[in-house]
Amino acid sequence: MNKNFKKTELTEKVIDKVKSGQIKMKSKMHFILKTTLFFLITSFTALFVVFLISFIIFILKANGVWFLPGFGFKIIGTFFISLPWILILIAIALIIVLELLVKNFSFAYRRPIFYSILIIIMFVALGSFAIEKTKMHNDLFLKAKEGKLSIAGKFYRGLEKSKSPYMHKGIILEVIDDGFYLKTFNGEILAIIIDSETKLPLDRGIDNNDQVIILGERNNNEVKAINIRMIDYQKKSNNLKMK
Amino acid sequence: MSNSKIKLTDEDIARIVQKGKSESFGLLVERYEAKIIRYAKRFLFNHNDVEDLAQEIFIKAYVNIQSFDTSRKFSPWIYRIAHNEFINSIKKKAKEPLPLFDLDIIFPSLISKEKVENEIDRKELNKMLDKCLNKLNSKYREPLILRYFEELDYKEIADILRIPVSTVGIRLKRGKEKMKLFCKKIDYYE
Repeated sequence: MNKNFKKTELTEKVIDKVKSGQIKMKSKMHFILKTTLFFLITSFTALFVVFLISFIIFILKANGVWFLPGFGFKIIGTFFISLPWILILIAIALIIVLELLVKNFSFAYRRPIFYSILIIIMFVALGSFAIEKTKMHNDLFLKAKEGKLSIAGKFYRGLEKSKSPYMHKGIILEVIDDGFYLKTFNGEILAIIIDSETKLPLDRGIDNNDQVIILGERNNNEVKAINIRMIDYQKKSNNLKMK
Repeated sequence: MSNSKIKLTDEDIARIVQKGKSESFGLLVERYEAKIIRYAKRFLFNHNDVEDLAQEIFIKAYVNIQSFDTSRKFSPWIYRIAHNEFINSIKKKAKEPLPLFDLDIIFPSLISKEKVENEIDRKELNKMLDKCLNKLNSKYREPLILRYFEELDYKEIADILRIPVSTVGIRLKRGKEKMKLFCKKIDYYE
């Protein structure tokens, strides 16, 4: 009896609050807008992560760091130091945010996090590489150089400055007997010395106008090359021209 | 009139409330009041404000009823609201630690198949749950309540707790194992 009384009492209390207007139902539109906003935020975050990672790949290729692992295990430390860690950490943080957002959808939370993380990483990786294959970043880079890109412009404009003191990239001006002259993307002329210990591209020789990355210690305007690699990436576009 | 109301499903009533007949919400309160209070008492065994919490749950359900998709089942939806309310209550009172991070929800597991106990096992389990449930951590206690007292399936429990379906299976299995150990300690079998 007591239980029944309590049951009625609770129902009465709730209905009284409804009737008196103390509690009001949120409209359907409120939830439609909320869901739409949530969906847009999730989509925007996903697209931004894809853009950011493709930008990181673009930076790494443009400043040559991308090619460093190919020079051998010895310079792996240089490779890690040269990575754009702030951007990488932002990308990781955004992937975590994306995972938290996606976890609100039943298709994601009903399965272990492992799967949703895996799908996000695959989506981001495929999307980033697909964008990176387009000329989008090159075009944005050009706009940044012309001062037409305000917000992200400074990120693009800083690209040509290499961080690694052992890495020099540019275009071969003239091949000489013991090496060649290199015009770097910063506009400097360096004499690159090649000896028997220098590792050269295996598939082809080097020639004038080749875009290359040289690994080696600089001494004034001379660099004793340890390793030389071609930059095929930058040949795809004529946009990255020498100053 | 009364009989025709009884025939309505929870989802039908929710649809009527959504269309503006607010007083019909009372039917849902009547149907779920005992269940929610029972769930609260079993999950928050050391709280003494379960009636107030139940009222808060129904108020939240009413305020948000337009977000309920009537093509889905109503019970997991209201239990989800209840779960959130209980977790907030535990956090506020800091009476017991809540798991912050759980490896169970990260990696896939093989223990995911829904297990159907026979009648004898079920009765025995319910008796043990009555005696030893409060000894369990909230992480194991809640799935056991939802499964064996509220009789929800794994998918519904996964929707309420927002955890993978396989994790529901793991927590139920481990929860039962732990509970049996506790029951043994308090000489339940004697």
